[in-house]
Amino acid sequence: MQLHGWEAALFYVLAIMTLFMAVFVVTARVAVHSALFLISTLVNVALLFILLRAEFVAGVQILVYVGGVMVLFLFVIMLVQTRAEEEARVRLYTGQTWPAVIIALLLAVSFYFAMNPAQAAFRPPESATTTPVVAESTERATAGAGLNISKDTQEVGEQLYRQAALPFEVASLLLLVAMVGAVLLARGTKQEKYYE
Amino acid sequence: MISIIIGALAYVAPVLLQAQQPFLKRFEPTLINFLMLSFLLFVVGVAGVLSRRNIIIIFMSIELILNAVNLNLIAFSRYLELNKDALMAKGLAVNPLAGPVFTIFIIVVAAAEAAVGLGIVIAMFRNRETVAIDEIDLLKW
Repeated sequence: MQLHGWEAALFYVLAIMTLFMAVFVVTARVAVHSALFLISTLVNVALLFILLRAEFVAGVQILVYVGGVMVLFLFVIMLVQTRAEEEARVRLYTGQTWPAVIIALLLAVSFYFAMNPAQAAFRPPESATTTPVVAESTERATAGAGLNISKDTQEVGEQLYRQAALPFEVASLLLLVAMVGAVLLARGTKQEKYYE
Repeated sequence: MISIIIGALAYVAPVLLQAQQPFLKRFEPTLINFLMLSFLLFVVGVAGVLSRRNIIIIFMSIELILNAVNLNLIAFSRYLELNKDALMAKGLAVNPLAGPVFTIFIIVVAAAEAAVGLGIVIAMFRNRETVAIDEIDLLKW
């Protein structure tokens, strides 16, 4: 899955943007700034999905995350905003420096030991199939002249409704339960009295 | 306390450089590069969850972690799709479309989690007038 030419450059640009925006999400003082940086991160990740030819997931990411979840976050920030964090004396972080460092260290070690054998394991089929990549790129180039529609959405939709039909229904039930639960949790005392 | 995040990344950086060493010859991103990006995103999210005080920002860090997982799944899906024939020849059953399908379910669960979590945040703010997690200690004995 080597990316070539401008795609490789685009990958590095998007990766650096994603990481910087993610760090800004964690370090921002005001929660609204954090939410805006998170939107930027999510859009960058969606662009990376497009780079990986997963257009349907990229669209779902933009629609659900940026259009739905982040609007919810911004509304809650608006409701809950005490504006206390804009003052410099308010602490932003809990004092958990040592747990954070230890867990980062453990993650780094586990990443190293997971990646070291994996590198050798992932390379041979990669080099074995350099020709399909080229064939696919030429195919895409010729397809670009005519009808430039990716089949990703169709394939994922078929898979979703055939092989994964039961999980799909369970997921919709989960969303219903979450919706009812969120309404139940967020209602005020006045509404509670009214309904009881 | 920004040093926490910088420290986390500093612990990771030598490992990454070591892992990247054979790839310095060719900078074109492969599966490993996507995995590294996903891992760094994951570490940033974990650092946010562990170190921030504002519960809303902790929720956002959880979204970052879930996105790192999604990126991982999609990268592996693309890898399987491109190397399908080579892996099939080895006798492995590959289904490259499982990645996107699973990613969609993760997005669904993330949306449900965000809705319920933010409902809890609103209920808690109504009772305690705070969103700082070290002041929410009602269950502490």
